[in-house]
Amino acid sequence: MTAFITRRILQTLAVIVVLSYVFYYLMSLMPGDPVDMMVASNPKITAEDVARLKSLYGLDQPTYKRYLNWVASMSQGDLGYSRTYRVPVQELMGPRLWNTFLLSFISLTLSIAIAVPLGVISALRPGSRTDYFMNLFSFAGISIPSFWLAIVLIILFAVKFPLLPAGGTQTIGGEPLGFWADLMDRSFYLVLPVLSLSIQQIGRFSRFTRSAMLEAMRNDFIRTARAKGLSRRVVIWQHGFRNALIPLITILALSFSGLFSGAILTETVFAYQGVGKLVYDSIIGNDYNVAMISLVISVSMVLLMNLVADILYGFADPRISYQ
Amino acid sequence: MLNKLSKGLLLVTSLSFATPALAAPSNAELKIGISQEFETMNPLIMTMSASAYMYRMIGRSLVVLTPEGKWVAQLAKEIPSLEKGTAKIIEEGGKKKISATWEIVENAKWGDGKPVICQDFITSHKIATSPTVSVGEKEQWTQVEKIEIDAKNPKKCTFKYEKAKWDFYQLAQFFPVPTHLEQAVFDKYSKQKEGYEKNSNYVRNPTNPGLYNGPYVISEVKLGSHVAFTPNPHFYGKQPNIKKIIVKLIPNTGTLEANLRSGTIDMISVLGLDFDQALAFEKKTKAENLPYVVHFVPSVTYEHIDLKLDNPILKDVRVRKALLYSINREDLVKALFENKQQVAIHNVSPKDPWYTADPKIITLYRYSKREAGKLLDEAGWKMGADGYRSKDGKKLSLIFQTTAGNKTRELVQVYLQNQWKQAGIEVLVKNEPARVFFGDTMSKRKFEGMALFAWVSSPENSPRSTVYSKAIPNSSNGWSGQNFHGWSNPAVDKDLEALDLEFNAAKRADLVHNILKAYTAEVPVLPLFYRSDISVTPKNLKNYKMAGHQFYETNNVEDWNLN
Repeated sequence: MTAFITRRILQTLAVIVVLSYVFYYLMSLMPGDPVDMMVASNPKITAEDVARLKSLYGLDQPTYKRYLNWVASMSQGDLGYSRTYRVPVQELMGPRLWNTFLLSFISLTLSIAIAVPLGVISALRPGSRTDYFMNLFSFAGISIPSFWLAIVLIILFAVKFPLLPAGGTQTIGGEPLGFWADLMDRSFYLVLPVLSLSIQQIGRFSRFTRSAMLEAMRNDFIRTARAKGLSRRVVIWQHGFRNALIPLITILALSFSGLFSGAILTETVFAYQGVGKLVYDSIIGNDYNVAMISLVISVSMVLLMNLVADILYGFADPRISYQ
Repeated sequence: MLNKLSKGLLLVTSLSFATPALAAPSNAELKIGISQEFETMNPLIMTMSASAYMYRMIGRSLVVLTPEGKWVAQLAKEIPSLEKGTAKIIEEGGKKKISATWEIVENAKWGDGKPVICQDFITSHKIATSPTVSVGEKEQWTQVEKIEIDAKNPKKCTFKYEKAKWDFYQLAQFFPVPTHLEQAVFDKYSKQKEGYEKNSNYVRNPTNPGLYNGPYVISEVKLGSHVAFTPNPHFYGKQPNIKKIIVKLIPNTGTLEANLRSGTIDMISVLGLDFDQALAFEKKTKAENLPYVVHFVPSVTYEHIDLKLDNPILKDVRVRKALLYSINREDLVKALFENKQQVAIHNVSPKDPWYTADPKIITLYRYSKREAGKLLDEAGWKMGADGYRSKDGKKLSLIFQTTAGNKTRELVQVYLQNQWKQAGIEVLVKNEPARVFFGDTMSKRKFEGMALFAWVSSPENSPRSTVYSKAIPNSSNGWSGQNFHGWSNPAVDKDLEALDLEFNAAKRADLVHNILKAYTAEVPVLPLFYRSDISVTPKNLKNYKMAGHQFYETNNVEDWNLN
């Protein structure tokens, strides 16, 4: 197991290095570097200004040299400087990553907690009224565009019935009221974005759970377990659900890999201060340092969660070995 | 895309609900919504519009342009002038220069109570001209060669300008920085590339009141979210009426209205709603008697179509004139903008003292299909059976480009495309994302026929960068300059060079009128309309005056009153 994990971590590091260079190179191919964009918006920038800024930003260097410089600063713990916001990247991204993590983690946990039992119930009564109702709910959840749902939620709960804030991360400008009051305040602002994200995820996860569970419950060993006189609870959870876990682990691990990537639509509509829009803007604005850090985080999370999924497969199904 | 969809859906959905009435905001707090991102507010390096909007609340400059288009003193006691003898033309090494005396108002202080002195201008000049600091446009700083402080008065100094230019006093971007806070940072980091800007107090300690000299100081800032402002007790002018201002970023313009109506924000700044959203909201405001005023103020932003003069079809001035004659711009602004934006006749807006509509000076192009047809016939483009004109077997066809996803521009395109079709001109739309359009297609002059976009300007601003022949972007000048159409007229070049050095206002206007004469006669550009600036304020907000140019309404924020 230790050798397997070590090997996978080394592979992960190699993939991160390769992908980061590919991404850096692709970004450099995009038309218009930060100085070109500055020239387009300020008619008074002269040819001398252009040459000076390109040299200052290192844009007159070949891509591989710029990439190596970036790697060198990264290895010294310097994540660089955002040329769009004019602040060090760690200061810019730190709070936003935490906000995104909170939003994604809460909505994902809530979705799993609701969707998995719903999917199991639905699978145990295929074709029943409960199953039809849950299918309807799931399909509605999957089909409704999240930004539309977000706007409807704002109109309903912030404009029509002003119970919740229309957007933001926390109350602005108020005096600190203590830990619990601040926690309540943050939670208040999370309700609508979490709801908007969760409804779609619940639909998706409950469909996956239902189909995995249906498949598992059709197996011969389920019939055998029942014939042995095992209780319904044991048959469902120990034999059925455990076998349904393999596909679920894959889906859930991939979903957890997006914990730090941000939900750009939801964050934008709710003016939630997460990384989603920041990453989008940094790619569009050629803010290399911000874009590269977000890429590294995103790739690392995907690879890490895949590793976690591989380890969990072994726990769910003892036939899987790590030789 | 998200904006477009959400705007439509928001409109439909919101119609179904009646909204509870909200209490009018008071002088205790005003929350302003903006939809554009802002950056660190270091006045020497900031470039974003949203930062400039907010900076006017916390920082003042020697002079400023009023909403009426007049330059007035702000941190300075008065504007130096040749007439008063406070400025004079001097000669050094055979070169004409200007020496001007500036005196800072007596009680101008930073937010920590330290006086604003000439040394603060020397510090900002020193930092901004340093090769390790990434100031975009260096010329606004390098135009001042030297600043000498009066030995008896630290608030009085003489600026020596490297050229004798008439607009030497227009130092609205020449912001001071507090020497007592920033000098040490610069001394420590001046040798590192971008070292100063990474470690400046504006980044490390932005709520230090000593960084600001305007009516407010920053009490809280979160990039990507909001900035909170509280009054600066040391402000040299009158104390502001509003006790707290919060500027909140709401990136999705489709939800600005919902945020306004839910009370999350009290007003929408000029950097907020799109034009179509504002028109719809104004109607709703009237129909539902909502407590808001939607302001539409003509601005100096010039929406136009650049014609690529290297294109063999567009080389012929008769074709360019025909393109202009065949579009009904009066009808366009009426149909699409309900006459809330003004038709443009050239690149100088009616807000500008240099504006002229005199037919003895400029050529006016009233909509005339007949005139357009006549010019095209003369140019050899004959109408064919298919409804399109052709010459030597080649169809009169042009590529028309703009920024993809800009709803207003795409509507204008469709409208114009239809009108040109009636004149027998085929127009093919080939839009691109703004990033590609401005970052490559325009800046590298890769557009093929016509390009629709806007120039943001200010009154009495030399059009040098857009019409001077040396401002045609090419590889040898690092693709700088914005004469994208490639217009080259030696007489215009001569007038532009003379314009910078002409101290007589009437003669300057004459020079600009000469340029406009050539501009309207040779039609390198199709003028469309001057945009309007839009904002939404609560009905009880008094003394709110939109400027329509780059010196935003926040410049008189101390006068705003919600009582």
